[in-house]
Amino acid sequence: MSIAKTAKKGVTFYNSQKADDGYTLFSTYNHDVWLIDMEGYIVNRWRMPYRPGSHQVLLPNGNLLFAGMIKSHTELGLPIEMAGIGGIVLEVDWDSNLVWKATVPYQAHDIRSIGDGHVLYAAYHPDGILPHEIAAKVKGGRPGTEFNGKIWGDVVREIDRDGKIVWEWKVYEHLDPEIDIVEPLDNRNIWGYINSLWICRDGNILMSLRNSCEVIKVDYETGKVIARYGKGRIFHQHDARELDNGNILVFDNGCQRHEYKPNYSRVVEIDPKTDEIVWEYKANLPSDFFSCVCCGSERLPNGNTVICESWQGRIFEVTVEGELVWEYISPFVGSIVGMITTMMWRAHRYAPDFPGLRGKELDPKRLPWENRIFGPDSFNKHFTPSIF
Amino acid sequence: MSFARTSIKGLVFCDSRRAYRGLTLFTPVEGKGVWLIDMLGEFVNQWGMAYEPGCYGELLPNGTLLYAGRVDDGPLVDIEGAGGILLEVDWNSNVVWEYKDPYLHHAFYRMKNGNTLVLKWVELPKEIAVRVKGGDPGSERQGIMWGDAIQEIRPNGKIAWEWVAHEHLDPETINRCPLCPRDTWLHANVCVELPDGNILTSFAKINTVAIISKKSGNIKWQWGSTGELAHQHSPSMLDNGNILVFDNGFHPNGLAQNYSRVLEIDPRSDKMVWSYEGPNGGDLKMLIYSSMYSSCQRLLNGNTLACEGTTGRIFEVTSDGDLVWEFVNYLPSCETSPINSRSYPVYSAYRYGMDYPGLRKLK
Repeated sequence: MSIAKTAKKGVTFYNSQKADDGYTLFSTYNHDVWLIDMEGYIVNRWRMPYRPGSHQVLLPNGNLLFAGMIKSHTELGLPIEMAGIGGIVLEVDWDSNLVWKATVPYQAHDIRSIGDGHVLYAAYHPDGILPHEIAAKVKGGRPGTEFNGKIWGDVVREIDRDGKIVWEWKVYEHLDPEIDIVEPLDNRNIWGYINSLWICRDGNILMSLRNSCEVIKVDYETGKVIARYGKGRIFHQHDARELDNGNILVFDNGCQRHEYKPNYSRVVEIDPKTDEIVWEYKANLPSDFFSCVCCGSERLPNGNTVICESWQGRIFEVTVEGELVWEYISPFVGSIVGMITTMMWRAHRYAPDFPGLRGKELDPKRLPWENRIFGPDSFNKHFTPSIF
Repeated sequence: MSFARTSIKGLVFCDSRRAYRGLTLFTPVEGKGVWLIDMLGEFVNQWGMAYEPGCYGELLPNGTLLYAGRVDDGPLVDIEGAGGILLEVDWNSNVVWEYKDPYLHHAFYRMKNGNTLVLKWVELPKEIAVRVKGGDPGSERQGIMWGDAIQEIRPNGKIAWEWVAHEHLDPETINRCPLCPRDTWLHANVCVELPDGNILTSFAKINTVAIISKKSGNIKWQWGSTGELAHQHSPSMLDNGNILVFDNGFHPNGLAQNYSRVLEIDPRSDKMVWSYEGPNGGDLKMLIYSSMYSSCQRLLNGNTLACEGTTGRIFEVTSDGDLVWEFVNYLPSCETSPINSRSYPVYSAYRYGMDYPGLRKLK
């Protein structure tokens, strides 16, 4: 337990002069998805029939694209690494009415809208289990930790509005055992471990591979891995995305960093032409910013970066100099891997002029009960110690 | 900076009905001081030292403070845990005993016979170093890997007993962390004299707590190396013979989540008989995490004091895991403004009951 770390909730700091404006979307492993404004008022709440598995995004058409968990990894008899597993994709409108859905067996982590209403997702699908002769070549990882003797490889799929698979990419057909080596302390039950997907402007796909601690770029036409970024410098990273300037922003969780110093997370911006880190954000005391799992980061129109420190239930915004300008601590509680938590998978910020917000009701007065319990007016700004 | 998580400082919570009443001694990582506070977080004494910690101070039964300091220009000063000098001072920080060795690191223990157990880094012979597995090749320190020795030092500075790790441990059979740099081999961080005269130690980079026979130098008992521990600190033997240890949870084996916990192990059965991982036996586990240093102590009323080093948070829980005391360090400089707020880490903390002999002079 820690009172000092958990006493402050909601928006705990807001510099409206320097922070960018907009609305922040997230969900905390229960049946709600929340959209809050910069002061922490809830402006929309989606009530979903499933808990997250794990990602949700607001689409330009104003609907919410949501990955839901049909069965947990334990119910499916899968290892804990597959805890982010979902299995269904839903598109719902502003009032949570179902617009479209598709079953996506073994889907986990990110989902992305691609093309004309299609959905791109990665899955721990049995179709991706490595053939024996390829599994034998995979290097690294803890010996003897295959899953029932097998190594599972991710399968990335694109489905159309009829749920038909129109594009497929398998880890075992494209990763190179000589290069994409599993980190020494990770298990050999998964090769790849794609925890984020991003569609680049050139149509190619950026994928974050957790088990080999690298970001790869995949040619959409040929399936070939055409670039690798961050090797040796990012560890158990998430949310690799292409910025407007062509650079790649990555959340470097740092879980298994090859250092013996206080553990820390950071956000790095990589120049894809040189694979060099050209910008990074760390806390002033690095160990104060750390989340071993999940997380994400986004570059905002005004040059700031909004960062989700998932393990701590925290979303915050910093300037390019690293100055804190906004901080939000989730007051919501959910549960994942048998543990009560205030964690969220990822958070997204949408500018007020985002097409998906056009014509939407954003008045917190629509949600009086939610705001009374979880809105800014319910949180004590000043802390007093309890002594008795 | 995390404003919400680091802006609440000082005494946060105190349940005097259930907390173990006494004074808490702690050594902040930054600055050159050791501090003693009461149950309400008020300062009772402060020792100002001439050296930064390498790595902590401890109040002895005779009322002096024994302190391991870090010598700024030591040969291995860049290695985590570097020390170089032991100072024993009175209540006013006057030095009454001193021992210097540039290779001192981490910890010490004042023995029953008046000698002092210390840890020293010793250069690993090349033919042994090349057989050490684990860690990025080329991450040795200027080509050298440092092993450990435990020594018993007489008040006159002479060595009464020595145990050199590489004379007793075989690098080929040891499971060393593959992620840790090869500047140090085992990275010992504790040396404790047990009631039977044997030595309790902790090797961080092989995730092992061990009891060494003083007579033979053999390892009588060890635990944690197959993944139960992850870069642990601060083991101690309890009155019931069990071992209490702070399991940092850094570089865990086959686990993507990092969280710390305090464990109690029965060395006779090798079973973990008690643990503290957060409320409800593990909900909100992520609330307790310190990748480095930290300490734990079983108190006379059955509670456990823990120091979550990297956040500077010292807290006390009952055996059922209820929080009864929490103090967050703000030394040396207490920054709680939104844009500069940060933690002030603490190496270790220790609670002394009001009847502890070392506090006699305080009255």
